[in-house]
Formats: sequence, C-alpha cells, structure tokens
Amino acid sequence: MDIIVIGLTIAGLAFFFATTVGILRFPDFYSRMHAAGKGDTLSSMLMLLPLVLYNFHEANLANLLLAMKILLIGVFIFMASPTATHAIVDAGFEAGAKPWVKKPEDEA
Amino acid sequence: MIWQLDISVLSLIVLCAFATIMVKDLLSAAIIFGAYSFLMCLLWTEMGAVDVAFTEASVGAGVSTVLFFAAVFQTTRRVGIRKSGRMLSKAVALAATLLTGLLLLIAEADFPGFADTLTPASLHVSPYYITQTLHDTNVPNMVTSVLADYRGFDTMFETAVIFTAGLAVIAILRRVTKDTPFAPPAPYIVSEGYPDTIIRFIARQLVPFIQLFALYVVAHGHHSPGGGFQGGVILGASFILLAISYDFKIVLGIMNERWNVLLGSLGVLLYAGIGFLCLLLGANFLDYSMLSKVLPATDTVMARSHGMLGIEIGVAIAVMAIVVSIYLNIVSHGKYDKGL
Repeated sequence: MDIIVIGLTIAGLAFFFATTVGILRFPDFYSRMHAAGKGDTLSSMLMLLPLVLYNFHEANLANLLLAMKILLIGVFIFMASPTATHAIVDAGFEAGAKPWVKKPEDEA
Repeated sequence: MIWQLDISVLSLIVLCAFATIMVKDLLSAAIIFGAYSFLMCLLWTEMGAVDVAFTEASVGAGVSTVLFFAAVFQTTRRVGIRKSGRMLSKAVALAATLLTGLLLLIAEADFPGFADTLTPASLHVSPYYITQTLHDTNVPNMVTSVLADYRGFDTMFETAVIFTAGLAVIAILRRVTKDTPFAPPAPYIVSEGYPDTIIRFIARQLVPFIQLFALYVVAHGHHSPGGGFQGGVILGASFILLAISYDFKIVLGIMNERWNVLLGSLGVLLYAGIGFLCLLLGANFLDYSMLSKVLPATDTVMARSHGMLGIEIGVAIAVMAIVVSIYLNIVSHGKYDKGL
C-alpha cells in the first residue's frame, strides 16, 4: 500500500513539474493553456488519490468519510479545472491571440 | 509548524506583495493578489487557524479577486505612468514607511513567542474558552463559540459593517436614471453573449452543489471550520458564477435589488433580533441560554448552541445578499442594465 501511495505521489509531482515546464517553455498562449489544463488536472488527481488510499491504513467510518470528501474534491477539480481552461482559451481566442506557427526565418 | 514550509511560503508572500505593487497591468495585479491571498490561506492553515484560512480562501482569494476584476473592467487596466516631479511626496512616503517598519521591528522584540502559554494573552480568558466551551455551549469548535457567543457583540457589528459596506456601494455607484447606455472602455473585447455550451453546462451543474456546500458550511460551523461568513460568501459566489457564465440578467431575475437590500437587512435584523429576544426573556443581550424558554426540548446549554446557529444563519443571509449586491453594482456601473 505504501509503495502505491509513494509511487502515485511521485508521479503527481512529476506531472506537476512537467506542467510548470510546459507553462514556462511552450511558445504560445494555446499550447501553454494546454499544458496548464491537462497537466494540472491529471497531477491533482494523482496527488489526491494517494491521500484517499493513505486514509485506509485504518479502515473505519471516519476515514471512509474523509476519503469520500477527498474524492468529492477530486470530482470538483475534474469538472472545474478543464472548464476554467476552456474559458480562458475561449477568451484568448476571442481576444485574437495568434497561434504559434513554425517559421525558420523568424528568430525571436 | 514546519519551518522550511513557513520560510518558503513567507518568501513567496513577500514576492507576491512586491509583484502586486510593481506590476503595471491592474488585471495582473489582481491575479497576483489572489495568489497572495491563497498563500496567506496556506500559511494560516499551517499555523492551525483553519477558520481564518477558510475565510481568507473564500473572501480574499475568491470573491475579492472577482470584485477587483469587475472594478478593473469598469475603469481601466493600465496604471497611469506618472511623470517625475513627485519625488518629494515619494520620499516622504518612503521615510514614513521605513520609520513605521522600524518602530514595528522594535516593538516586535517585546512580543511573546508563538503559542507561548505563559503570556497575559494566554492566561486571562483563553484557558476559560478552551476548557469550558464544550461544557458551556456544547459546541466543539471553540472558534465558533467565541465568535458567536462569548463575543457576540463583536460579530454583530462586523455583520453591520458588511451591511454598511453594501449600502455605501449602492449609495456611491447606483444610478437610477438611464441617461447613457452602457459602454465598456475601449481595450475590452466584450463577448456578445453567445452561449458557450461547455461553460454554461458545467456552471449549471456546479451551482446547486456549491450552494449545498455553503449551507453545510453554515450549519456545520459548530463542529468544523466554517460558519456564517464563509457560507454566505460561498452562496454569494455561486450567484456570481451564474452571472459570469450566463449573463447579468439571470442573476437579476433571481436576486434583484429589492431582494438584495431586503435580505441584507433581514440578516442583520435576525442577528440583533435574537439578541433582543434574549433581552425580552430576562437575560443579557445575546445571552442565548435564556432561549431555552422558547425553544422546545432544550436546556440552557443546548440553547446557546441553537442561538449560535440562528445568528450564523443571519450572518450568512446578510453576507450573501451584500456580496451579490456589491458585485452587481460594480459590474454594471450602478445601472443594472448590462455587465460582465
């Protein structure tokens, strides 16, 4: 059990790191939001899941309730985070953010 | 207390504070300020003040950021670049700040250590609250019992302050005459309100659960962090979410101006009314133990718990109405015709 918990946490941290790198390094608005939306949601899930599992070291009603609450937070993130990303991308599209295209002569 | 975490969060807070002042784009400043609030919330959680952290998360990071956005939307996004010639006033301001900081640093040396049990603050009434709350009021969360019972006066006037703030926003911004149509400043692209299915669907699904959670926060404030202020803010935020994801009119249809003011007053009246009811029953103002005479099947201890629940509901109603009212006023420039 401990191994699963540690493994999931490390995976979550790795995805968080990838998200951060993506936000900082991607060339344009859309790809940055892509990194933020996907990476953030997945890594939050990967961080919450070990918390749920960790609670079952002692399986009793209180821990079960706590695990349910954490799972509900997970459901909320799963719905709200991609929607927020979508809203931001939509606003950026309306504001006329230009997508990045590969141009070899354009060094900036 | 984990000092490594404390240091990193504190340094991030200082960075955020500087960034908020330095950045020229007011919208970015509002976002960074939201991050600042969230870091404060983390810090308070870490110090064990979960109720304060909850308030900071809902008010500071949540609603006030939205209110800043609304204000920026109605005014301007750019800070006016000030030409030189104000060096004298800046120098005076810097000197005053440095002097105050120096005095605070000197005074800080006299402060007791964190959570020192042998200081006057921890010796006078705190032990009584900590040991007797459960016995006196049957409320496990002593923050709630101190706020709503032992120091009920304080909280009543905090509610009155929020109500007054709402009235002030209405008094300053509200314009009944429809002289000029709403026109946002030039640099904004205002969506023509074309229906975005994804956002609307998710908002529609989430709003009932958010409101249910808010009611839970209000009602469960006796046993867990939370209470009237946080619950009221979350309720208000659910309406703001509707206003942002649908449009302005839908919230106006549910909570129009008359209802907002009415509910705001009703909340404060409920609080003060419970106090006066205690007075009428022969006890002191806001001494809920006497409510056991009117509440069925309660002794004086349980009556205090129920009295707290009553005033928390009053606070929640007032805060919800005022938050919605402030948002509607700021975002529509006080005209209630069209907004964010």
